[in-house]
Amino acid sequence: MAAQTTATESAQRPRFTAKGVWRGCVEIAPIAVFLIPFGIAFGVAASAKNIPPEVSVLMSIAIYAGASQFALLDLWYAPLPLATLALTVLAVNARHILLGAALAPWLLQIPVMRRLGALLWLSDANFAYAMSARERGEIDAGVLFGSGIAMWLIWIASTAVGALAGSFLGDLTRFGFDAVMVTYFAAVVVGQWKGAKDLYPWLAAAAVAVIGTYVLPPGWHIIAGALAGGIVGTWRHG
Amino acid sequence: MVDIVAAVAAVLLLTLVTMATRVGGVWIMSYVEITPRIEAFLKYMAASVLISIVIPTTLAAAPRIWMAVAAAAIVAAVTRSALSAMLVGAAVAAAMKNLGM
Repeated sequence: MAAQTTATESAQRPRFTAKGVWRGCVEIAPIAVFLIPFGIAFGVAASAKNIPPEVSVLMSIAIYAGASQFALLDLWYAPLPLATLALTVLAVNARHILLGAALAPWLLQIPVMRRLGALLWLSDANFAYAMSARERGEIDAGVLFGSGIAMWLIWIASTAVGALAGSFLGDLTRFGFDAVMVTYFAAVVVGQWKGAKDLYPWLAAAAVAVIGTYVLPPGWHIIAGALAGGIVGTWRHG
Repeated sequence: MVDIVAAVAAVLLLTLVTMATRVGGVWIMSYVEITPRIEAFLKYMAASVLISIVIPTTLAAAPRIWMAVAAAAIVAAVTRSALSAMLVGAAVAAAMKNLGM
């Protein structure tokens, strides 16, 4: 009887297994393929700035954060403005801090090395995927790591294609690739809707984010909107 | 032309900055007791991050993206499948592009 109880408890506790990693890999695949045109676009844009392919591919391997990689292209000249580069990348990527915090109740319950594995490949898309998986009852944080690795490999490969051969490929938006991420995020948000109590927090997030695009430095509107939604939600329902 | 050694060193610096943002959120929360109130805050914040990406991006984009996002939202509400919603959204965006929007 005692053994049975333990088994049920362990079945519901957050975990990180190889099975979860593989599930994350497979489930993100249909979304990850749509990264290809963006990776190619980054490779092409980097080549246009005279960045050698080995450096643009290194950026995709090491930094692996699309928006910040595009942002740094404008600052890539000799001598490199290191402080400006670091602050720009920090501003564009600071939203990761909030994504990580939102995952904390889940990730703090798994061993520290696996937690790091799940976090080092964190992106908007695999966060959105993990949120919708969590909604369906997923408890295995391996899905974060697996989905992160799958997207990372595609990002690296497509950057290489763009850097080496991109100029032959033409405009890829005719296939609707440019709508993929925003429609996927919108769909995940709709899946999070729990009824009228969400209305004011969500409106607060949207309003603050939109105003933020006009009054804040690039990237910070996401942080302002996220905090606004969190604060209004806690104030009304916390 | 940027020197290759300088380029690699700069990429490593920017990697450290980015990694710090990825690990930072959970690291900060490991020092905060997660009360029901904090948990509610984090839950609302999680949805709000995505809202703060979607709404300004959509508004700044072309009308065909507005239609794509609206179609995706409807499909997501009906089917509860984010993946089908995304595929329908992309199809709408592609169709509108080919219609010249």
